[in-house]
Amino acid sequence: MITVTSLTKSRAQGRVLDDVSLTGAEGTVTALVGPSGSGKSTLLRCLNGLETFDSGLITIAGHRLGAGRHAAAGLERLRRDVGMVFQQFNLFPHVSTVDNVALAPRVVLGMSAADARARGLELLGRVGLRSFADARPSTLSGGQQQRVAIARALAMRPRVLLFDEPTSALDPAMAAEVMEVIVELARAGQTMVVVTHDHGFAKRAASQVVELAAGRVAKQGPAAAVL
Amino acid sequence: MKSLLVAVVIIGCLPAATAAADLDAVLSRGELIWAADQEGGGPHVFPDPADPRRLTGFEVELAALLAEELGVKPRFQQGQWDRLPLLLGRTADCVINGIELTPERRRDYHCSRPYFAYSLQVLARRDGPLDALEKLGVPGPKGRWRVGVLTGSAAESVMRSRSDLEADVIGYDGTIDSLEQVSTGVLDAAVMDDCIFNFYADRFNRVRAVDRPFAGGFYTILTADDTPRLSAAIDAALGRLIADGRLKALYDRWDLAGRQQMLLVRDAAEIPAASRKSLGELCRDTLPLLITSAGMTVLLSCLSFPLAVGIGLAVAVGRMYGPAWLRPLLTGYVEVLRGTPLMLQLYAIFFLLPKIGLTLPALVAAVIGLALNYSAYESEIYRAGLKAVPLGQFEASLSLGLTKWQALRHVLVPQAVRIVMPPVTSDFIALFKDTSVCSAITVVELTKRYSVLALSSGRIVELAVVTALLYLLMSWPLALLSRWFERRLERPAAGSGGSEG
Repeated sequence: MITVTSLTKSRAQGRVLDDVSLTGAEGTVTALVGPSGSGKSTLLRCLNGLETFDSGLITIAGHRLGAGRHAAAGLERLRRDVGMVFQQFNLFPHVSTVDNVALAPRVVLGMSAADARARGLELLGRVGLRSFADARPSTLSGGQQQRVAIARALAMRPRVLLFDEPTSALDPAMAAEVMEVIVELARAGQTMVVVTHDHGFAKRAASQVVELAAGRVAKQGPAAAVL
Repeated sequence: MKSLLVAVVIIGCLPAATAAADLDAVLSRGELIWAADQEGGGPHVFPDPADPRRLTGFEVELAALLAEELGVKPRFQQGQWDRLPLLLGRTADCVINGIELTPERRRDYHCSRPYFAYSLQVLARRDGPLDALEKLGVPGPKGRWRVGVLTGSAAESVMRSRSDLEADVIGYDGTIDSLEQVSTGVLDAAVMDDCIFNFYADRFNRVRAVDRPFAGGFYTILTADDTPRLSAAIDAALGRLIADGRLKALYDRWDLAGRQQMLLVRDAAEIPAASRKSLGELCRDTLPLLITSAGMTVLLSCLSFPLAVGIGLAVAVGRMYGPAWLRPLLTGYVEVLRGTPLMLQLYAIFFLLPKIGLTLPALVAAVIGLALNYSAYESEIYRAGLKAVPLGQFEASLSLGLTKWQALRHVLVPQAVRIVMPPVTSDFIALFKDTSVCSAITVVELTKRYSVLALSSGRIVELAVVTALLYLLMSWPLALLSRWFERRLERPAAGSGGSEG
């Protein structure tokens, strides 16, 4: 499902990713761990083309990404199959919760407004927030917002879901409710890549753990072995 | 509006510097300060073509002769022609600038004995259909005749009073603007003092005089009502200049038929003074006209602003997200429109486009000019608004598979619109007031109507207050409306479709 081969990326201050290779099978959860600045978020953002890289190759959900700039059309197709959840949620503040979820199916997939709303309500139910459907995101707690963000990403039925430190901006109680949702997804067989600092979470949810240090893969293997 | 404010400020702040002192002030100063508008042009007062720093014209010479008679030196004071009387008693002792002797002026100022007799002449294109005066009484080949006049001139009031003519009268701010427009075929005819046309005739060889002059009157020198000794001294000096032939010689030098002039100039006392209206009568007579013109102000604003916002938003998006070759072009668009005066842009659209064969009705030209000018400001506002939307919003949209344009349409622009609502509102009110500039291209909106009425009635301050109140009455609801709109946008958007759930 995911194959990263010899990924290298440099910025002005030096190498951010240095010959990174990994694979993630369908239905598995890969946790990316490592200290701040080790390149794990950059690697994640390369996986859906938010960042470019200098050399190497990514294949993900049947799409190929090469070095350098990507063509817009190919990226748009890839991103339908590869969803992303951000540390800061990035919900759309100007529309209701359910419209956050329904927007992409309506705009990208051309679904009717009614069908898109139905899918939105169903997914909000799955993350336990159906009763907040018509609330503004700003009236929700951080944990609730992140759950809406997960529902929003799921609305495109992605084959791979990427998480960029999904619980770092949350207090422990809220982080726990978001983790529950992710663990639930893992059980349901959703292929995921999760950047996290939380080793407990990695042990609980991840099929494999990849530890990065200074842009290189330091350790790779089952959670129990790496952590 | 601006000149109106300036007038109010001048009246309010400046002490009456010379008024009380009368003739003694002139003598002790050693200078007779005379006001005129050099933009008014020849043959009255205009910059010497050989040396533009120097003024020339028959009135420049007349002022010199008068000053000499009073034993002082002349000093020129520049002013806008239709506001020259406001300078009296403040920065000028007298006004000498083709001011026609009218009952209203007799009432409001001291008018000297006439020094020049003017005639009103109809002018039309040599190859045009208007070749006799009586044709103005029946519609021309394109319907009613379009006739240009100088705003505030006797030509304007005479033409506007002639309800028997099949003619629409259009006021221009520059003396020869109407000749320009006759020449380019925008107007069917112009009406002006014959001496002006004679002076500029060589420049407009496509234009000819239609029949003989059909009306006329006298030029007078205005002085303030409270300087009787100065007024008397000017009258006496004029009498001497007429008696000893110096005035005749002056006119002959300027090709102004000195002998005929001397036969015509006569005593101002033969023209009666008009009676003064009460404030109630004034409002009754002017309010309907002012309110009608306020409608034009609203129309201009409401047509041009949505256009400005639309163009501005497109330009902002193009500059931030468009192809690389487009961005410098759009930046240039914004800088040119923002860096040049609205007045010049309107002039270019209305006066220059006809020269390349594109003639737009004044209202259309005004709406286009306002929309283009304001689109530059709107685009800067929207650019700031788009920049204020966090980058994460764009990334989240792209990560869902939206294209760049879908992200703009559904996520970035809707948020930017909410962010920029307050500055856009205040821009709307600014545009609303800027519509007054359109009077330069013959659109009669509220400020223009005020100028015309203030001029004809002499009630400058009272009508200024009424006009300002009308503006306030209109802009206040606009502000309320946009605040309501702002609140509405802040609420969550209604569900985008289905009602289940």
